[in-house]
Amino acid sequence: MATSTQVKTILLVDDNQLFLKMLSQAFKKTGIACITAESGKEALEKLGSLLPDAILSDYEMPGMNGMEFRQQLMANDAFKDIPFIFLTYITDNDLMVKGLDMQAVDYVIKDTPVNVIVSKINNLIYTVHKQQELSKSELKKAAEALNVKSIPTKTPKINGFEIDFWHRPYQDIPGGDFIDFIQANERYTFIVLGDIMGKKWMAWFFTFSFLSYIRAAIRFCVLSRDYSVGSILQKVNDVICLDDVLKDILSSLSLLMIDNETQIITYSGAGDLPLLHFEASTSTLKQISGDGLLLGLFAGNEYTEQEIILSKNDQLLIFTDGMIDFSDNTGKKSDYNNFVHNIDLMLNKKYSFKHIQDELFEPSLAMQVDDCSIINIRKTI
Amino acid sequence: MIKIIKDTENHLLIEIEVSEANLNNSDLFKAQVIQLLDRHEKTVIIDFNKVEYIDSSFLGALVAILKHAIGMKLDVILVGLRNDVHDLLKLIRLDKVFKIFGNYNDAINV
Repeated sequence: MATSTQVKTILLVDDNQLFLKMLSQAFKKTGIACITAESGKEALEKLGSLLPDAILSDYEMPGMNGMEFRQQLMANDAFKDIPFIFLTYITDNDLMVKGLDMQAVDYVIKDTPVNVIVSKINNLIYTVHKQQELSKSELKKAAEALNVKSIPTKTPKINGFEIDFWHRPYQDIPGGDFIDFIQANERYTFIVLGDIMGKKWMAWFFTFSFLSYIRAAIRFCVLSRDYSVGSILQKVNDVICLDDVLKDILSSLSLLMIDNETQIITYSGAGDLPLLHFEASTSTLKQISGDGLLLGLFAGNEYTEQEIILSKNDQLLIFTDGMIDFSDNTGKKSDYNNFVHNIDLMLNKKYSFKHIQDELFEPSLAMQVDDCSIINIRKTI
Repeated sequence: MIKIIKDTENHLLIEIEVSEANLNNSDLFKAQVIQLLDRHEKTVIIDFNKVEYIDSSFLGALVAILKHAIGMKLDVILVGLRNDVHDLLKLIRLDKVFKIFGNYNDAINV
């Protein structure tokens, strides 16, 4: 459905063209866009390309009547929750009860003056929107109270490494990106960067399920002295594939383990973007690609791991797809190579991570189209 | 959202009608294609020639469709991907799970 920042849209369904025209003009004056359809069949076709904020439908229509139209909507997961209002001349109480049983939000008698109908629908859209916002804010408060965070507040201190990260959710609503730093013991630190496919609240809810499994898998592997990031990913993927609640929920994941003693990083990736390794001595930027498939795709997937050895002042950048997506006057784009090119220029100019953030992200606030997260690991010795 | 272009004995060719495949249309797309798979029980070939941008919500819907099809022992084939959309799929290794062809004719000639 249209988001709060977009123009509200309603779908008007009536076989009376004159009434449709009159009502849509009245709505337009209040800033609400209208899509019109002269039959239930036409309305279902139009719903195929845009989901409105509410549907206002006549009851008596030739062919499919309003009740049958409502039944069709109820049978479709994508349409059933759009607020639905019946418009009718009939003031039959039984019919009204039948309609309300089908979760129609309200009835509007057609004889009602047009400005009253418009105000009523406007209020309904406003109330539904407010209710949704309220539910989200309650959820946010509950998550804060439970101290569940998908983004950490500080970075770990590891001898020989300097770690920074930057994260900005899309439209300031928590989304599907998640970051975690887990210091399993004095020797090993794990770095987790994931991205649940999807945006905003729905994706955010699932970050906690994924993070719980990842944290548990890391702890279990460490307890059994299995210090393999590939093996951890395999376990996380298998358990996610078995979880019915997470059916059809997928996530990318970059998992790194820093060995404090050997100063070696091991990495395994699941459907994540290639990491960038900046070699300070040669001023070159190299891509490091994982080979694993997205978490939750198929049980039994294998994840191999590779060693990354950083020399003094080398940098390793790990990031989610929001970093490569942007919007310009020709539309939205995903351009990994463009991102790599920009990073290359800045690292060659010896920009600090803070400076890179400022350069790359601040001017592009309006251009952001997804959650953005990036972790920077710099070798200091 | 989608248009059926061809309905042959063993496959359906459908075209995505939007240029931006994103969160706002991914649920609808998923519901419509899964309905087609259930109703026709045939391999679905999806033509992306009109799609200029695809976000992760839509990729998620696409994978959910593939998993549904695999459960029915059917295939989902992608054709007509623009270079940057195809590049994104390759970067996150989704080219390993989908059959991808340049166009419809290439797909049916294999």
